Amino acid sequence: MKAVIGVLFLIVLAFASDHTHAAKAEILEKIFANISMKKEFIIWSDDKELIEEFDKKRTFTTTTICKDATLIILENKKNIDKTCSEKPVFVLDYTLLKEVPQSFGAIFWKKGRPNIVIIAPRAKAQSIIISDKLNDYIEDKIW
Amino acid sequence: MVKSRDFFIFFLLLVLGIFFIYIYNNIKTTKEDVYNRIEKDQIEQISTILNALQNDFTTSLNIKNSDELLNAFMEEESARKYEHTISLVMTPNIKYAYILYKDEKNKFRFILDASKTDKASFYQKFDVDRNEYMDVYRTKKPVILKQKDIENLYITLLHPIIINNEVAAIFSVDITTKIQDIILQSIKPLENFFIILIIVVVLFMAMIAMQLFHYFATRKRVFTDPLTNTFNRNYLEELQNVINLNNYSVAMLDLDKFKPINDIYGHQAGDFILVQASKIFKTSIRASDILIRYGGEEFLLFIHNRSGSSLQVCERIRESISSGNYFYDGNEIKLSVSIGLHKHPALEKNLHEAIKIADKMLYNAKKNGRNRIEVYDEKEESDNSSSSKDISFVKEALDENRVICYYQPIYDYKNGEIYKYEALVRIIAADGRIVTPFEFLPQIKGTNMHYKLTQRILHIVFDKARKSKKGISVNINFSDLTNTDIEETIVKHLKSNPKLASQITFEILESDEIDDVELFKAKTNILHSLGAKVSIDDFGSGYSNFKTIIDIEANYLKIDGSLIKNIDVNVKDYKVAASIIHFASQSNMRTVAEFVHSKNVFDKLVELNVDYMQGFYISPPMATLIEKEKLFQ
Repeated sequence: MKAVIGVLFLIVLAFASDHTHAAKAEILEKIFANISMKKEFIIWSDDKELIEEFDKKRTFTTTTICKDATLIILENKKNIDKTCSEKPVFVLDYTLLKEVPQSFGAIFWKKGRPNIVIIAPRAKAQSIIISDKLNDYIEDKIW
Repeated sequence: MVKSRDFFIFFLLLVLGIFFIYIYNNIKTTKEDVYNRIEKDQIEQISTILNALQNDFTTSLNIKNSDELLNAFMEEESARKYEHTISLVMTPNIKYAYILYKDEKNKFRFILDASKTDKASFYQKFDVDRNEYMDVYRTKKPVILKQKDIENLYITLLHPIIINNEVAAIFSVDITTKIQDIILQSIKPLENFFIILIIVVVLFMAMIAMQLFHYFATRKRVFTDPLTNTFNRNYLEELQNVINLNNYSVAMLDLDKFKPINDIYGHQAGDFILVQASKIFKTSIRASDILIRYGGEEFLLFIHNRSGSSLQVCERIRESISSGNYFYDGNEIKLSVSIGLHKHPALEKNLHEAIKIADKMLYNAKKNGRNRIEVYDEKEESDNSSSSKDISFVKEALDENRVICYYQPIYDYKNGEIYKYEALVRIIAADGRIVTPFEFLPQIKGTNMHYKLTQRILHIVFDKARKSKKGISVNINFSDLTNTDIEETIVKHLKSNPKLASQITFEILESDEIDDVELFKAKTNILHSLGAKVSIDDFGSGYSNFKTIIDIEANYLKIDGSLIKNIDVNVKDYKVAASIIHFASQSNMRTVAEFVHSKNVFDKLVELNVDYMQGFYISPPMATLIEKEKLFQ
């Protein structure tokens, strides 16, 4: 597990000097590889460049229609449609964790360093299973 | 040479380039040094502040362990107070300042964040490379992290907050790259200047390198024979300025009966043979030897001493050529080579003289049946017979004062007295042998050594005449007369001493090539004006321009020995001698007959009424001025 996390950390550091969408996509790929949902991953995001990165890599199915998605990656709270309000959300800003109730995880930069937070109770409530490999990032609540 | 200058400039640029790189590197090192000094200074300052802060809140809040520290900052009021305190001491270079707490799962969490931007919540998790942060807990000492991967951050100072000898939390301060940027901006123009200089130097070096490359490529083309891929004659011109002939033998090689090959099989067959032969030449010699296609089927080979015996090299070539099988267009062609070899070309005046001798030897090889080597070994010949001497022989004799004169009487048979003496040069060889001029004069003709020798003879003769009060003739060439040093010597000695001048007769070789008659007249006039006499030597052997002889108003005509020696048996010679004596008499000149070797010749000359006689019958040349009593012995 530590090895996987170590690799993740290295990849993150390699991209950390500039917050490119490629770096974000790389990290999210690693995170999503270690979580499982009842439904297949169909990703919608208001960050269109991030979607482009996923499409390039073809790791996940993406959609441009929010209601077709099974997982939302959200950058700005205003961009989420009401029809998607019940879908699991992964946010790109720590503060959004507080503002979006169905958000269960976040990836963001804090003081220049990449940070990952996964809120275990929220994930569990949405039947999302988190691998032990992500234990270092799991929190019981939002601080 | 121009190319030497190019090499020098290239070398100079290389040195300059290295110098600039050295300076550039020094600037970089200095920059790093400045960074380190600033960094150290900053860290010391920050550490002092952090220590003071730590003391302040541990004592004022009465904190005894990490849990109490956590609880203390959980209270908003005290957290705000210390955030404010920390923010007051933050300089513009400090981007973030915060306190990290390690929980029971070893996750690091913010418990205080005094940063003005990107502020973290209380107890928010912070993902860091835990190894380095854990080191602070283990060592209880500050750690400095170089932040290469984090944008806008230069270093992070991790300062342990130690309570009761335990690390309770970490004071983390992120320092920005601002100072670095300022230093970089200040030094950047200087760095750029040196980078431009280095680029310019490299460009110039590239240009000169290209020029040199072009020069050598062109040079190779100019000096290489395209057919045989050997050097061509152009190279010979270049070579003569640099070659040290002491290290080489010179061989002239010529393919035998090459013309018939061209005539019978065509020029393409001739070219084929030339290529084959040159290949054999090349495989038979060493890299230090130099092969030049001299022209047509003729090759010139410089054999280096270190290649072994030059004769063996030539023999190897000759054998290889004659034993080879040459087929062209189904026809077998027989081939052989004749070689003329000069083993010691350094003994010659110059390279061309050496080549001339090698060529002469080649001619002998052809004449003596082809497919053979003829060797000219001047050194050996010189050692064996001493028949021929070189410039160094004369030079050494002059330096060691071994040049002397012998004197042969010129006899006035009418009164039975010695009229005067002819001075004849001799050199005493190192072994004491007396060497006659026939052995060394031809070798130094036209060289500066000849003039030096003439000057020495003049000094000897003038000295002898002064001391003996006798008349002495001395031989001199037209080219000697036109030499300013010799003219100065003559004028210096004779102008101030008319008595001495009257004793001296200059015998000018009639056979010598006198190409400027006016100059000749002018020079003999100088001799006349000094009071000396002029004799035309070897009259009858050259082109005998009677008008010039009359014009220069010579005092004597010395009839060439070739006309005298058979005068007793050869009627034609007798008649020519009679004519000359008559011509001289009519022109107010007195005659001297040389080569008087017998009584018969003597008697015939008396019959012709010649004025004076000289020859072995009367007396051979002697080391001293002999008296009349010693004549006819």
